[in-house]
Amino acid sequence: MKVSFPHMGNAYIPLSALLSGLGAEVIIPPRPTRKTIDLGALHAPEFVCLPFKVNLGDNLHALQMGADTLAMVSGMWACRFGYYGRVQHKILRDAGFHFDSILLGRDGVGSVYRKFADSVEGNLAAGWLRAFGKFQKKARAVDALESRARAVRPFEKNRGETSRTLESGLSLVHRAKTSTEIRAARQEGVGLLERIETERDFEPIHIAVLGEIYAVLEPALNFDIERRLGEMGVVIHPVLSVYKWLFRPLKVDPRITIQEHRARRVSRPYVAYVLGGEEHQTISGTIDAARKGYDGVIHLYPFTCMPENICRTILPRIENEYGIPVLNLCLDEHASPTGVETRLEAFCDLLRQKRRKRRGRSQVGMALKAGAKEGE
Amino acid sequence: MIRVGIPRALSYYRYFPFWKTLLEGLGVEVSVSSPTSKKLLEEGVRHCVDDICVPVKLYYGHVMDLKDRVDRLFVSRIVSVEKASYDTYTCPKLIGLPDMIRSSVDCLPPIVEFVVDVQNMSLRSSAKRAAAELGICGNLTRQVLRRSLAVQSIYESALLEGLSPQDAIDGVLRGNGAVARKRSRGEAPAHDLKIALVGHEYLIHDYFISHDLPAKLRGLGAEVVYMTQVSGGVIEGELEKYPGISWSYEKELLGAASHFMGRPDIDGVMMVMGFACGPDSIISEIIIREVRSVRDIPYMTLVLDEHTGEAGVATRVEAFVDMIRRSRRRT
Repeated sequence: MKVSFPHMGNAYIPLSALLSGLGAEVIIPPRPTRKTIDLGALHAPEFVCLPFKVNLGDNLHALQMGADTLAMVSGMWACRFGYYGRVQHKILRDAGFHFDSILLGRDGVGSVYRKFADSVEGNLAAGWLRAFGKFQKKARAVDALESRARAVRPFEKNRGETSRTLESGLSLVHRAKTSTEIRAARQEGVGLLERIETERDFEPIHIAVLGEIYAVLEPALNFDIERRLGEMGVVIHPVLSVYKWLFRPLKVDPRITIQEHRARRVSRPYVAYVLGGEEHQTISGTIDAARKGYDGVIHLYPFTCMPENICRTILPRIENEYGIPVLNLCLDEHASPTGVETRLEAFCDLLRQKRRKRRGRSQVGMALKAGAKEGE
Repeated sequence: MIRVGIPRALSYYRYFPFWKTLLEGLGVEVSVSSPTSKKLLEEGVRHCVDDICVPVKLYYGHVMDLKDRVDRLFVSRIVSVEKASYDTYTCPKLIGLPDMIRSSVDCLPPIVEFVVDVQNMSLRSSAKRAAAELGICGNLTRQVLRRSLAVQSIYESALLEGLSPQDAIDGVLRGNGAVARKRSRGEAPAHDLKIALVGHEYLIHDYFISHDLPAKLRGLGAEVVYMTQVSGGVIEGELEKYPGISWSYEKELLGAASHFMGRPDIDGVMMVMGFACGPDSIISEIIIREVRSVRDIPYMTLVLDEHTGEAGVATRVEAFVDMIRRSRRRT
């Protein structure tokens, strides 16, 4: 079985560990670029969400690279994502490609489980357990490296060094085969990031990044916003991560389940029902950012995303009530990197200005107080 | 008497007779927004997010038209309309509609929410809750509820007969209880073609936004068949070939399209979609790739938004009808 699946950030690292642990040959298409989006947009319905178009582009590359099986998560949810697999695979078959589909969700857990009976080494159950173990360790390793990179990048002395080091670390984790190797790769990756030369002579602004999950996690969609903002000296706090996305449905990490419940509770006054996307994380993330004293929030979503459109109508009210600025970035295949860069720079400038003013006012306040005391 | 305003958009086309009868039975006065006009649409677009679908922008426009002349604003929250063993939904925008309106429109009168969530609560409970929000629980008698449901049932029969929603509403609420007859439309030319319209009723039957599509077709000599003329049972049967969809309204579109494409008396099927409608973008692809491939029937999609011009719609509709006639002459 030569299996492939679409990209989403660094999810390919744990996912390919899972599938190759089950004995399949994993075909990883190249990281998506604007060309991938254009390719996907050619065959996709016009106003379907952008992640669909990127996925389609990835799948086309994978098929051209020799994949004979395409895997995708599917489901019958209110958000369109559940139907991606069905429609994408039909489009590809209509275009003349032949391949097998694994639609986790539509195909029952049992049938997906048994699909690897021929390819796995030894006992199927043991094979799944081993593969899942590696999957979990790699997902945690990727998460650790991404967090460390976010913490270091705003302070890096040599621009771009964090991203390059992160890539090396991720590559080490990706190539690791055994649990021991994965642990060693993680330690080395984190160590390399910690040893980056930094200059910590300024106070960075803090921005929460939230919205539709693919737009937050996939650099091809958000113009590598994590790197851009980090290199502008901003500490970013994404509300979602690949690790959370992978482990949320599995319900094996209680911290994730607890956080989900809390997000629903906090956002309930604004969004009373489940809308099928990340609306609860978007709303509660914005409120939390205000409570934590962050300087601003960036709201990312693909054009026409239904749950996030609804959040977009609600966020201005939260901006007012909680006093936190929100930058909305609606992304589609026509968005330009220059346009996005300009808006990011302007937003950060305004946030810095606001902070200076606030500090200036409090300094004036303190001087007045000191003066008053002296006068007594 | 409190005046309650119902916007003439979205679920108005499905539930208005029920709501009007219920509210009047509870002892309140019901006001409806004006019919859609350019000014109303512009107000809606101005107050709404840019990339949301046009029916929601229309809804905003109707809310703006209504909010200053009523005491309460009646906003529906349509969560589920189908009882099934799996989760069924309408569209996220219908589920979150009161949340959107509440958060993004200033100076609103108090909102009365009517929740339709048949998976989890009966229409009776929904009515009770709305009555409680109005502070008049005591007026909700069994009789009021029964009458409202009876009127709704007559309305739905009228739709099955082929009346447009507004004609059916007018007929049903004029109050003699009989199903209004399908009126002949004056000097229309004789019909030699039958075109089926598939799409959300709040798009097709808002004649401002659809540029009076049914009348255009009739003016070209085509008889128009609406989705609402297909019974629920027939749609269920068609859907057995296409399982795995959870959006209830999209299932209706899919089932109706499949039914029309299989009927020898239908000459063409026109799918009317709102630009940026999420579920439509997926369902129309499924209709084209899974349903239409079964029979080669003339099929056209018409995408509508607030910028769509009358001339564009007229040209495309004329071309579609012309081509069907031309291909008929050849065979």
